[in-house]
Amino acid sequence: MSSSSKNTPVCRFKVGDRVRIKDQSWLFYSRVQLYARGVEGTIARLNYTDLVAEDETFNVEGEIEQHYIVQFRQQDLWPEYAFPNDTLQSEYPDRWLEPLNNSQA
Amino acid sequence: MTTATGGHDHGHIHPPAPQVEEISDYSVLEIALRELAIEHGLFTAEEHLHFTEWAEKIGPASGSRLVAKAWLDPEFKKLCLTDANAASKAVGVDWLDPTGAGTPSDYTHFVVLEDTPTLHHVIVCTLCSCYPRPMLGNSPYWYRSTNYRRRLVRWPRQVLSEFGLIVPPEVEVRVEDSNQKCRFMVMPMRPEGTDGWTEDQLAEIVTRDCMIGVASPKPGRTADKHPIHKARHPVGHEPKPMGVAE
Amino acid sequence: MSAASDTGHDRIALLEAIRSQGKEWGVLAPKWGCNDPDPPWKFPLAGTFEALSESGALPSLERRHAEDELGDSLYKDVPPPESYLLTLAHTMIERGLLAEGELQQKMQAVRSRLEEE
Repeated sequence: MSSSSKNTPVCRFKVGDRVRIKDQSWLFYSRVQLYARGVEGTIARLNYTDLVAEDETFNVEGEIEQHYIVQFRQQDLWPEYAFPNDTLQSEYPDRWLEPLNNSQA
Repeated sequence: MTTATGGHDHGHIHPPAPQVEEISDYSVLEIALRELAIEHGLFTAEEHLHFTEWAEKIGPASGSRLVAKAWLDPEFKKLCLTDANAASKAVGVDWLDPTGAGTPSDYTHFVVLEDTPTLHHVIVCTLCSCYPRPMLGNSPYWYRSTNYRRRLVRWPRQVLSEFGLIVPPEVEVRVEDSNQKCRFMVMPMRPEGTDGWTEDQLAEIVTRDCMIGVASPKPGRTADKHPIHKARHPVGHEPKPMGVAE
Repeated sequence: MSAASDTGHDRIALLEAIRSQGKEWGVLAPKWGCNDPDPPWKFPLAGTFEALSESGALPSLERRHAEDELGDSLYKDVPPPESYLLTLAHTMIERGLLAEGELQQKMQAVRSRLEEE
């Protein structure tokens, strides 16, 4: 909820939180898949804190962020997906996530 | 470039296995690129040897061993799921020192994904082809292909069926797209018909494809086989496909 | 002059000459009765990929993106691992890490050396 100092990694979410993958432009390349942009998912796991890959590649002095595994329903990713139980997971750093209404936690 | 590989098994002298005895432009090209790279200072011969030896050394045996141990020991299984890096050390793989040089591609956050009766995992890297090489060795060609990477995320059940794996509709298929620094491996379920098996016997049926998630272990299934797509060649060549016919 | 493909990559004559001979491992191995599934240069090629990335000369992610693009276009009829080798050579030439002419000369020198052994 706060921006990070150099010592405190940015970590706004916990397991079970509902999030949306942001759809933001990025300077050179991004590891955030096009298929996930704007899609809602659930925090499945907190992995590790690290520099964000895009920053690291170009040696920008970036902030350390929490990286999460987010779980999506396949039916939320693909309009024609036929199996309601199936899911897809992938990893995102904190800056690429925005909170959905988590007030019912 | 010919070498005879004379076998001396059990007192018999076997004829040497046939080798390709013509020098293809591909083999020449590989050497030429390497030598020019070294001449231009892009890397040293020593660095190249180091990475080549690592590529030759790695394979899926450590992964198979990890799964077999987990099947036999509930405490070890728990360790695999809570601290996979520590569990890896028990089978001889230290993720903090996979090559001795720590290349950027050998990210160190290893995660084991446990299959259950209601959950089947399958792994892909849509971005490039990230793969847990210290545990599973070099990735197969099909894993690197754009065909697999584009299709698995969207049509996983269809792709799995092409490998011969049909997952019942009530079982959740979970695709893990490994796009950052984690490296994933599937821990498949222990199959029926393996009661009383030793760790070695169990490891033998945990093949590479089972740990990616495109196959399930079964008694008697000790090798990965799947169609190898025939190469399309320019007019005038009649290639013979290698491996299992489609 | 090489024709441009619609991905914006020009064909490289030296590499086209190699490709058009069609002497991939999938052709050579059955011809000679060899059962190895992979050519022996597969591992030193992997070594080259890693060494180039580690030194920063050609990072793996960039190399893989070029491999995807070229492998789906100019070299789409070439199977792996030959496709990996051709796309690496193509990418190194495109980026000026080495020149087509010197690669041709080096290949001639390497072939002469190997044929003497």
